[in-house]
Amino acid sequence: MNITKEEIENRIALYALISRLMMTEVDAEFLKSIESNEEVLNLFPNYKEWGKRKEFNSSILKERYLDVDFTNLFLLHLVPYETFYTRDDQMIESGGENPLMNLYDALDFRVELSKARVISPDHIGVELEFMYMLCDALKKAFEANDEGGVEELLLVQQGFLRDHLLNWAPMFLINMKKESRTALYHDGAELALEFMLSDYEYVCEQLEALA
Amino acid sequence: MVKKMNNENSSFFESRRSFLKGTTYTVAGAVVAKGVFSTIVDTPLMAEETKFTSTPENLLFYPPHSEWDSFKELDGQDWKRGGTGRNDGIKTEDNPDGIKATEYMLVPTACSNCEASCGLTAWVDIGKYKETKNPKDLMVRKYMGNPLHAGSRGRNCAKGYAAQSQMYDPDRIPFPLRRAPGSKRGEGKWVRSSWDDAMKEIGTKIHDTLKSGDEFSKKTIMYQVGRPNENGFGPRVPQSLGVDGWNSHTNICSAGAREGTIQWTNDDRNSPDWSNAKLIFLQSSHAADAGHYFQQAAGRIADARKKGAKLVVMDPRLSNSAGMADLWVPCWPGTETALYLYLANRILNEKGINGEDLVNHNFVKNWVNWEQLMTNKEYLALLVEKKYIKAVPQGESYEDFIKMISEMYTPYTLDFVVKECRVEARIVEKLYEMFIDAGARVATYIWRAGPIAHRGGWMIARAGFLPFVLRGAMAGDKGGVSLHHWHVISVNGKGQAATVSGENPPKVDAWSELAWPPEYPLSTYEMSHLLPHMLLDDEWRAKWKKKGLNIADKLSVYVPRMYNPVWINPDGFRWIEAMKREDKIELSFNLSPTWSETNWYCDYILPVGLAGERHDQHSEATQPSRWLSFRQPALRVALEKMGWKPKHPARGTLEAHMAAGLGEVWEEVEFWANLMTDYVDPDGKLGVRKYWASKEDPSRAVSIAEWYQAAFDNLPNLKAAAAANPKYKNSKYPNYEMLRDLGTWLEEDNIYKPQERPLKKEGDSYIAHGHKYEVSEVEKDQFGTLMVEHHGEKKAIGIEVDGEIVEGFHTLSRKLEFFSEWFAEWKWPEYAVPIYPTNKEDRKKMIHLVTQVHHDFMEKGNEFALNTVFRLPYNIHTRSVNSKHLMEISQNHNPVWINTDDAKRLNIKQGDAIKVTITDTLSGLESGYFIAMAVPTEATMPGVLANSHHAGRWKLKNAVEIPGFSHKLGVMGLGAPLYDMTMDGKIGTLKPKQGLDAGMMERRDTWQFKEFNKDLDNIWWDGLSGSWQNAVAPSHPDPIAGNHAWHQKVTIEPAGEEDQIGDIYVNYENNMKVYQEWRDKLTRPLNSSDTLRRPKHMKRTGPAISDIGYSVKITD
Repeated sequence: MNITKEEIENRIALYALISRLMMTEVDAEFLKSIESNEEVLNLFPNYKEWGKRKEFNSSILKERYLDVDFTNLFLLHLVPYETFYTRDDQMIESGGENPLMNLYDALDFRVELSKARVISPDHIGVELEFMYMLCDALKKAFEANDEGGVEELLLVQQGFLRDHLLNWAPMFLINMKKESRTALYHDGAELALEFMLSDYEYVCEQLEALA
Repeated sequence: MVKKMNNENSSFFESRRSFLKGTTYTVAGAVVAKGVFSTIVDTPLMAEETKFTSTPENLLFYPPHSEWDSFKELDGQDWKRGGTGRNDGIKTEDNPDGIKATEYMLVPTACSNCEASCGLTAWVDIGKYKETKNPKDLMVRKYMGNPLHAGSRGRNCAKGYAAQSQMYDPDRIPFPLRRAPGSKRGEGKWVRSSWDDAMKEIGTKIHDTLKSGDEFSKKTIMYQVGRPNENGFGPRVPQSLGVDGWNSHTNICSAGAREGTIQWTNDDRNSPDWSNAKLIFLQSSHAADAGHYFQQAAGRIADARKKGAKLVVMDPRLSNSAGMADLWVPCWPGTETALYLYLANRILNEKGINGEDLVNHNFVKNWVNWEQLMTNKEYLALLVEKKYIKAVPQGESYEDFIKMISEMYTPYTLDFVVKECRVEARIVEKLYEMFIDAGARVATYIWRAGPIAHRGGWMIARAGFLPFVLRGAMAGDKGGVSLHHWHVISVNGKGQAATVSGENPPKVDAWSELAWPPEYPLSTYEMSHLLPHMLLDDEWRAKWKKKGLNIADKLSVYVPRMYNPVWINPDGFRWIEAMKREDKIELSFNLSPTWSETNWYCDYILPVGLAGERHDQHSEATQPSRWLSFRQPALRVALEKMGWKPKHPARGTLEAHMAAGLGEVWEEVEFWANLMTDYVDPDGKLGVRKYWASKEDPSRAVSIAEWYQAAFDNLPNLKAAAAANPKYKNSKYPNYEMLRDLGTWLEEDNIYKPQERPLKKEGDSYIAHGHKYEVSEVEKDQFGTLMVEHHGEKKAIGIEVDGEIVEGFHTLSRKLEFFSEWFAEWKWPEYAVPIYPTNKEDRKKMIHLVTQVHHDFMEKGNEFALNTVFRLPYNIHTRSVNSKHLMEISQNHNPVWINTDDAKRLNIKQGDAIKVTITDTLSGLESGYFIAMAVPTEATMPGVLANSHHAGRWKLKNAVEIPGFSHKLGVMGLGAPLYDMTMDGKIGTLKPKQGLDAGMMERRDTWQFKEFNKDLDNIWWDGLSGSWQNAVAPSHPDPIAGNHAWHQKVTIEPAGEEDQIGDIYVNYENNMKVYQEWRDKLTRPLNSSDTLRRPKHMKRTGPAISDIGYSVKITD
């Protein structure tokens, strides 16, 4: 296998990071996890240089700027749900007929919608967290030297990216980048999109190598 | 490579970063990730044969109506966690780990929070009751919409769904409360009463008052209604007593709009066809955001926008509606008239892009009363004298009329409007373009904000309709503006056929000056915000007594009904003074579902029901159709459908609520019928009993089924449908039972241009207003209006237009009245056409049309107009105070919005406490101040502050002891913080003492409905950021419409060290003087030349009044 543990752990970290960013409003702990790691902070270059970040503490940043932006981007003006982008009538499928629900069920995962505070399981934050879960599972298979398991998980990841995330999230993320009013979400949109695209290539390359 | 923000040329694809190689992100995924996934518990697969669908097809899902009496649904917690795809079947004895399925009965009812009457279904959990037969096992698990409701279409706003949290209010008043013997009003000492004991004392007092039979007996009982949310029952109460004892809240709500609309149409409000409009033109956020019918209106407006309609919102505040509009027109509050007349000017004086006239001559010529104006030379001469026009026109033709008004509106230029309204020229021009582009398909609802908030606010409505008339948008046609009475059903008070008398009570031979004082003969309607002032102003009453009016010095019985006048009216301390005076108000009781500031000063608090706890027929004009809601007590209906019967057939709602553990919660229809029959007039000697006793069993009050069977008989289509339906046709009460199942009815749809309907004719008689007039009795006047003699008075019944005899509008001329002749005759000739002053000198002369917050009055840098009239979409003035759901989102929070430039100039920052001092611009008197939190924002125009009159609740005790009750009874624990109050007859103050969170935590043992309210330990709001600003404001009534002109001139400064947000300081002695000055300097009271109290054709709410009541003789 060409895959390294470092790569898997980086994938885990990045999916965790971007899923968390898009799921709920930031909190001090989450901001600290960005601030305290230069490598991570470098992923948010405009945020890194953002005057307001230097001017205000995290609670003021959150209250006056970041939460306002989050509300605009994820609750009010944009619709971060796959079915909104994929259904002709642009309705969010919020019940058990949501294709993502069936997919998670089939793979033995259950989404706690009330914890996520989203209305259906095809929210971008949930889908990205699902990738995080799959990467976490990949790490376990990798550590157990289970090549079959690794391949299967990569195939699931490839399929999930191809059939779901990449099928709609770029449109959302481009909108998000345009609509964002803070450096954090602007950079977050760009990071998520670039990372997903590169990650898809990465997964495909690994599968080719395994074939 | 990193791209700069806002670099439009950047591409996501140009250079991919390498994310995985050569770096390590020391982020612990498990810590950062939200963790919303869990593994699935081991559950067997769902049985294939199940009736449960995994999910509704869409969010508007409702079960088929045939299943409403028994519908099973999976428990919500499990459903939302995974859908039925992963659940095996249902929890049963054999399968204890299955998902719980709840058996519901869906009882249709209607929301009772705002006035829209959106349909609801109460989902009553009946499963356990079916096993135990214990009514206490019934519970309403949720309120959803009613998909059968033509107005609301299964949808609701937050307030509708919150009906459940109002029902299971932790501080719900569980039984009638009586002021403790020996205590004073306002001491907060209460004892428990039974309904019968309360009714005995109240009934005896009413009986003894009526018994004397003199003039005062007919005007000292007052029933004052907040938002009625029903059609016609309330006024029947005083009418059956033979008293002029009705009082309503319209003068703090809508009087200005009503006055202006009546002058055009003799209807008091319009009714837009939002769905089919090309332009939605909103004045204020009211229609789409927070006010009348907003949930229904917003849905229709969204439908129109989906079809391409544009939205314009004119409002000094960037409301939710304005925020999503195509054009926001921030106009200086109170100057909207100028903008409307500017539109009229351009419509009259310009041409369309193809050179065509912009005036819809076909409509204006046929349907505007221009002939009446052009033939009235005396009045035309007055227009010249007033310099509205240069000379009396030579001719009397339509063309002469158009020419004349084209000249009259020429001064309303772009330059003038930009200065007067302080709107940018580009916005004004854009508004005009959009208005013209939409043709006759412009819909509006002129109601709150402008018309209610200002002196002369009524002229905003009057002028507002002018451009609509000129463009033909007032024709009642598709996508335009219709009128309220065309689209509403009113039968709630028409159950007389079920009573012993079989008839309506006769007209009342009295006139209550305390509701209809002689200074305001054209008010719309009762001057209720002045009630305490009038009661306490001995000089004023003495003056009128000398002139021959027998004004009552006191009220023997005062009955607010779901109304909180102490808190919502201006000058609240004056209200408290009056409420406390037992020599002025001898007995008072509030029919109230919740605690309120007013209740605190009453003798009795009688708990009545909310949305799913009462009967009402309710209809509103929300679209071009006539629909009704039938509000019902859900627990009672569920019980009765499952075989339960009340012991007393006319007390079913009370008995059901007691049986089901909701408390001794009743409803007005049964209460009044029982009170009148058994306590006010038990032997029938007063002649009242027969209007309330059951025809079927005269020994008791009329029952709900009897009353509504008779009331719904007045609706031919409903009656026919019930009679034809096999399910009901053999029933004793088919109408009632059908509506009990449906909760709503659409009597007539697609009502357009009813003024063009041929006047009904049978043989040789015309039929109008329920009367027959022989053709030979009907005279046609010179303008084509068909006149008849009716009880000695001339009355218009129809009009000839283009050779056809049609119904026409509701006015005296049967046309839309550009010239309001009767208004001129009633002492206001200079304002009988739409007009507005164009310079400072004229603004002084025409003071009645100029807002008290005009920018003329703002001289110093810290002086502002305070915009007070906007609702919060998740609150209703009073009754939502203790809904945990609604309070969580409102938190009693009510900051003062200030434009960022103003804030910067005055060095005011977000969250700063500021002192807001109110000064009257007529008298120059200062009213006091309130301390509020400042929020600098672009969302209010410069110079205008915003602070909704919708928040700032208070209480003086956190809970009260009720002897014999198992624990203390909490008082508005979720919405009203605790305050200290002082008042000495001149100065009143409030100071906050304890927040909501602390107050609730210290009395956890008092929370009622414990299971439902177990989450109250999660209250995270203290409610201490609002102020009771209403109390600081003086009552200053518009001299014509009578509306309290809500907006205030204020000065602001930083709060002092001792000041706290929530503090208020009120000089209510000054406030009395302010009111008196507005009254004495601005009104044109009745005098010896008058023979009537008020124009008879003009709507007068409450009981019908006889000629005796209307007549007046005043000695100067």
